[in-house]
Amino acid sequence: MGCEEIMKQKKLLKSHKSQEAFTGYLFLAPALVLLSIFLLYPIGTMFYYSLTDFYILSPDDRSFVGFENFIRIFSDAQFLNAFGNTVYFAVIIVPVQMSVALGLAILVNKNIKGRTFFRTAFFSPVVMSLVVVSILWTFLYNPSEGLFNEILGAVGIPEQPFLTSPDQAMNSIIVMSIWQGAGFQMLIFLAGLQNIPEHLYEAAEIDGASMWQKFLHVTLPGLKNVSLFIFITITIAAFKLLVQPMIMTQGGPLGSTQSLVYEIYETGFNYRDVGYASSMAVVFTLIVLIVAIIQRKVASEERGS
Amino acid sequence: MKKYFMLSSVLFLSGALAACNGGDEENLENAGEVAGNNANESNESNESNDDEVETGEVETDVEATGDESVELEIWIHQTNEDETAFYVDRIDAFNEAEDDIHVTTEVIIDDGASAYSDSVNASLVAGELPDVLAIDGPYTASFADADVIQSIDEYISDEDQDDFVDSIIQQGTYDGSLYTLGAMEGSAGLFYNKEIFEEEGIEAPTSIDDAWDWDEFLDVAKELTTEERYGLNLFFDDVGEFMTFTGAPFIWSNNGALIAEDGSTADGYLNGPESVEAFEFVSTLFDEEVVSQSPPETQFQEGEAAMALTGPWMGLMAEDADMDWGIIPYPEKERAVSPSGSMAYGMTADSENPDEAYELLAWMTNEESAEGLSEVTGMPPSRESVFDSMEKYDDEPWSVIREQVTETAQARPATPAYPVLTDAFSEIYSAAAQDVDMQEIADQEVERVERELERFAD
Repeated sequence: MGCEEIMKQKKLLKSHKSQEAFTGYLFLAPALVLLSIFLLYPIGTMFYYSLTDFYILSPDDRSFVGFENFIRIFSDAQFLNAFGNTVYFAVIIVPVQMSVALGLAILVNKNIKGRTFFRTAFFSPVVMSLVVVSILWTFLYNPSEGLFNEILGAVGIPEQPFLTSPDQAMNSIIVMSIWQGAGFQMLIFLAGLQNIPEHLYEAAEIDGASMWQKFLHVTLPGLKNVSLFIFITITIAAFKLLVQPMIMTQGGPLGSTQSLVYEIYETGFNYRDVGYASSMAVVFTLIVLIVAIIQRKVASEERGS
Repeated sequence: MKKYFMLSSVLFLSGALAACNGGDEENLENAGEVAGNNANESNESNESNDDEVETGEVETDVEATGDESVELEIWIHQTNEDETAFYVDRIDAFNEAEDDIHVTTEVIIDDGASAYSDSVNASLVAGELPDVLAIDGPYTASFADADVIQSIDEYISDEDQDDFVDSIIQQGTYDGSLYTLGAMEGSAGLFYNKEIFEEEGIEAPTSIDDAWDWDEFLDVAKELTTEERYGLNLFFDDVGEFMTFTGAPFIWSNNGALIAEDGSTADGYLNGPESVEAFEFVSTLFDEEVVSQSPPETQFQEGEAAMALTGPWMGLMAEDADMDWGIIPYPEKERAVSPSGSMAYGMTADSENPDEAYELLAWMTNEESAEGLSEVTGMPPSRESVFDSMEKYDDEPWSVIREQVTETAQARPATPAYPVLTDAFSEIYSAAAQDVDMQEIADQEVERVERELERFAD
């Protein structure tokens, strides 16, 4: 009798547990289904297409070509150019945008008049659509009628070909991108700054630390985790550069602003070469993945020490 | 095991839900609700650029037996509202005229870049093409080569075909068969500001016989350039098809070509001596600073450029700006050539009702459509007979456009590699504004075209 009773209870418990699990999965289901349809499935097909010669106009007539697309990538001057441009963009924008954001955060963290106004002002470009901002800055950069050249002209500096010179176009895009993006990181830095306990500053003051020393030994270490988060997100966002060159320069002049993602887009949609575009996308994914892994490794080592 | 079971049951569930949705949609009788559903769907997939427009009356003809009625679908492009409204009106009229055919229209945004072709490409992969679709003329070959559209040779009468200007037939022909027809033609010339010309005492040629050669063109452009004004506007910030449309005639006029006649290679053509010489001439225009690399949009209308090399739409803009303007024929070198080509219609190979689809295509390109469209857009008509009936083309400045369309227009090359070829062309052409070796750039771009051509070599 006793034994049976226990068995019965165990069974009940078990069915209760599995029922709970079932409910759990049911809650998960919507997210899982969406993720599978819109993320996992496309990623899977990307890997598959990257091994084929899929041409949009003849979708049924695709054949398996092995690693041919990947071999072609590494001798493709256009791809390598786009890769170089994207790396340049990332290498410049990551440190500069971080510094600008940190600087702004420290400024608007000060107890000054109109602090809310400045916070809103610095953050407002983030709320604007990148497409709109790109179009506006194209006007600002215009050689003969743009605001920047008019200001330069007023102080006697000759007209600058901001977007029409291969030497300047990418830098012009970088400046605009920082203006547009830095406000967001400023907000995160600001939250980080406000998390640093006030007593650390007081202790530093008692020890006779200067402003600079306080920044170096209290503020920066206090922002370590926040900085890491910002570092990784800016880097990944930088690699995804697309809208600015698409709107402002169409990748020109002389391909100087062509980015990786733009190259993938053009290859897939304009040249209709989905197979090759997919293999570029695979390489792009791997690059971003490697960068992210290295950053994590470096960061976790630092945290350990 | 259990996990997998859970997952599959969840998937099954969601599948069942989707099926329910599908069923619901089919059961909905009310057109309004269907349209609402479609709107929701397009929002979800972020394709808010698609717009389903129901044309014609909502099935009021109860007497007609449903079986006899043929359902057709047509896709048109939208660049401006007046033009789209005209297309929709014409399709409505078709629906009224034809008792047993009912056409549904889908309007797809065309931003001048790739928005329209992106939509077409996506539907192509999904296998959801309409019966008739608008195609940018020079892309005819690539759609024909992939058997996406079918030849209309067996449908069109010789008499009807003869009425179309040669360049439209040339544009719609691939491999000896006719695939697409358009209601409008394109052309480009030098729009000029009459006031400035009078001030400077320059006489503008008004017919192809007195067209400027390159040297005269350059000299005049230099003469017209002052501190405050450029002699010429080439709209060089408009990278893309516009560049091939307006720029390629420089090469043709110098007896060059973008690609071999048989379409087998671009090597020795796009980078051949005649082509490079033409690119270098464009380069000279920038070296002499008679043209701006990023001109403000209304440079010509505001008198900040004395001439503008562009299409007929500039006529309407100049009219709006209340300026005194005229058209000078496209400058020539060895022979007179002018730009050509515009949107055209093709019927898809998978259409279940090709006879009716052709009827629709013919309707959209008949005299009435061509004349009406020309009035709305300012583009020249694609038919000789319509030129005869439109008085506007008898006199200056539009007589220049008529002369060009009927005598010197040359279609862009019919090759399935066109998407890459035109991109390569605009890369070289736009490089003319930079301080670079044109031959070197041309060689680089030809390499890309050659690789693309391999895809189509058999």
